[in-house]
Formats: sequence, structure tokens, C-alpha cells
Amino acid sequence: MKAFKLPIRQLLFLFLIVFGPQILSAQSLFSKSKTFLQSKANGIYLFAGMDLAKQNIAVGNYSAAFNYNLSKYNNDAFKPGFFAGISAQTSYKQNHAYSFDFGIHRMSTGTNYKEAAGLPPFLGTFSSFKADDIFWMLNTAVHYKTVLNISDTSKFKFRLVLGPSLDTRLSNTSEDNIAHSNYHRFVLRGDIGLEFTNRTYYTFFLHYKQGISSFTAAPINTTLNSVEFGMLVKASDFF
Amino acid sequence: MKLITKYFTISALLILSLSSCSKNETTAELNVTKNMIADKTWYLDYSVTNNVTKSYVGQTTYFINFLKSGQTNDSDGITGTYSIQKPNNTLQMSVNATTNSGASAIYTYEIVSVGNQNLILAFTKNNVRTQLYYSIK
Repeated sequence: MKAFKLPIRQLLFLFLIVFGPQILSAQSLFSKSKTFLQSKANGIYLFAGMDLAKQNIAVGNYSAAFNYNLSKYNNDAFKPGFFAGISAQTSYKQNHAYSFDFGIHRMSTGTNYKEAAGLPPFLGTFSSFKADDIFWMLNTAVHYKTVLNISDTSKFKFRLVLGPSLDTRLSNTSEDNIAHSNYHRFVLRGDIGLEFTNRTYYTFFLHYKQGISSFTAAPINTTLNSVEFGMLVKASDFF
Repeated sequence: MKLITKYFTISALLILSLSSCSKNETTAELNVTKNMIADKTWYLDYSVTNNVTKSYVGQTTYFINFLKSGQTNDSDGITGTYSIQKPNNTLQMSVNATTNSGASAIYTYEIVSVGNQNLILAFTKNNVRTQLYYSIK
């Protein structure tokens, strides 16, 4: 099969061409579709922020002819990245708020190896798998939101946010991992977070995403975890 | 409702189009192997034959150069070319060279393990397997 070499810029362009008009008309989409889960559109929001991400890697019985010195590649830390996207906020029967989010993430991840091989005295700790640590991702998420009664909700609102999140890897992996098709294109994660809204002017959010499916092919098991924080504002404030 | 159907259909098509592409794995593996090996001088640290280990660490030892151009030369004065293949799911290095005296020297090694600083090659002669442990200095 031929290599997939569509560059990120073209992918973003394609994304905007395909989704742009529909995102802009999403307000009318929700209002026109009265049967769509009896929902009521609350608006289109833009969001942006930073994330801190890490891959936890269990190599299992994976074997390959490559050896990578883990003193260089093992990095048990969350590394910073950034993201931006669009959120369609709506509610079901007035009581249950939820949102559909689409975001582009540039993730930089720490790589925490849980296992290491060794061949003393010739080789110290090494792994046959070298995790990639930079990814461009398309994130699609559905969030259910419920207001927490911990302040005067006419002024400020704290919301608990829950939902599934599907990340689609847009960037190619390194040749080291193409060699054994180590990385999956998709990774499913669970998302839990808090949102703070100030009289609908702006919303700050803090989310934790826990990997549910492995980002890598068996027998390597890689969970991708991240903490995301950022701000959400109404698109109509800009356009 | 039509708009919603269209929206999710296009989303699904875009996502599926991303999932159906992959680069040739063997080509990638050979490229990575060559990049790890090439343009370095590899020094023999250990050899293991019949579970007997000989150490050359700290001694004047055999070394071999592999160039990106495909040329190779070693401390014994052997010069020639090398190539990396993967027949029968095993990474191999073939060396086609000549000695100082002009004699032909043709070897095939199994690449047991390769990294940016460590290389393990193996060969079998008269049913005896020998592993050679190289590193860069």
C-alpha cells in the first residue's frame, strides 16, 4: 500500500474546507433539527489551551532487532503541548448540558517505560521499542456537563464534565515505528474535568484524559494520559 | 436531519481515509538499520562462541567502518561494499570485499541487534555460531 504523505497543512485545509461551512452553520443546524435529541443549541464556542501529556509504556514480549538506550529515551514526565478547536454546546430537555468538541492538538509526550531489557556488560538498560513523543492529533469528544452547586450559580458556575474522547493521529510516526507498524491511528480516552464559567463571558477548563485503548499495537501496551487546561469563549464574540 | 447525516458521513470518511495508509515496513526497517550503522566506526568489544566470551575491551582491537555510500573497510585492510537485506524475516548484512592480497572476502552476518551505539552480529561456521559485540567509542 502506498504511503500516506498528506502534510499537516493540507490536512488542516481539508478539515476547514469540509467542516468549516457546517461549523459556521451549526447554530442553524441545531435549531433546524427539532428532532435531534430534542436539543437546544446554546452556541458555538472556540477553545484553546495547553496540555501536559505522557505515555506509559509496557513493552511486554515485543521483540525487534533495534536497541534503544533507555537512559536517553526513558522520560517519566508530562510534557507540554497546545491545542485549539471548536465546541458546539447544547442541552437536552434544558437540564442536561452537553457538547461536541473538535480540536487539533500538537502533543509532546513524556515516555515512561515500565520495563527494560539489559545485556550486561555490553548493553545497559535498553528497549527494542522507541516511543515517538510528538504527535498532531484530531480530537473529537462528547462531554456531558452538570452544574455543581458550590457557588452562586447566577454569577459563577462550576461544571463537572465527563465523556469519551477519540484521538485520531494525523502525523506520521517515525520510521523506527513504521518498520513494525507499532502505532495505532486511533486512541480512545476517558475525559473528566471541571469548568468554571464567569457570567458566560468566558470559561476556564481543566480536564484529565485517561487512555482506555492502547496507542500501540500488541504486545506493546501504551496508555496516553494528559491534563488539559484552557479557555472557552463564544465564537460570536470574535465574528 | 440530512445535515447531521452528511456531517457524520464526512467525518467518518475523513477518519477512515486516515486509517488506510502505511509505508512499506521492510523498507523502513532497512532504512533505520542503515542509518544506525552507517558513517560510524564499530569496535569489537566481545565475541561469544560456544558460550565462551572473549573480551577485547581496553585492548587494541578489530574495527570496521560502514559508510553511507555502501563502502566498508576494516582494521585488517579489507575493503569493499556492504548491503543490508531482510530475507526470511531475518535482518542480514552482506559484505563483498577483497583483502590486501587481493583475495575475495564474502561474508553474510545476521544482525541480531542494532542501535545507535551498539551492534550485535552473528555468523555460523561449521555449525558453530559466533556472536560479535561492537560498539562505537
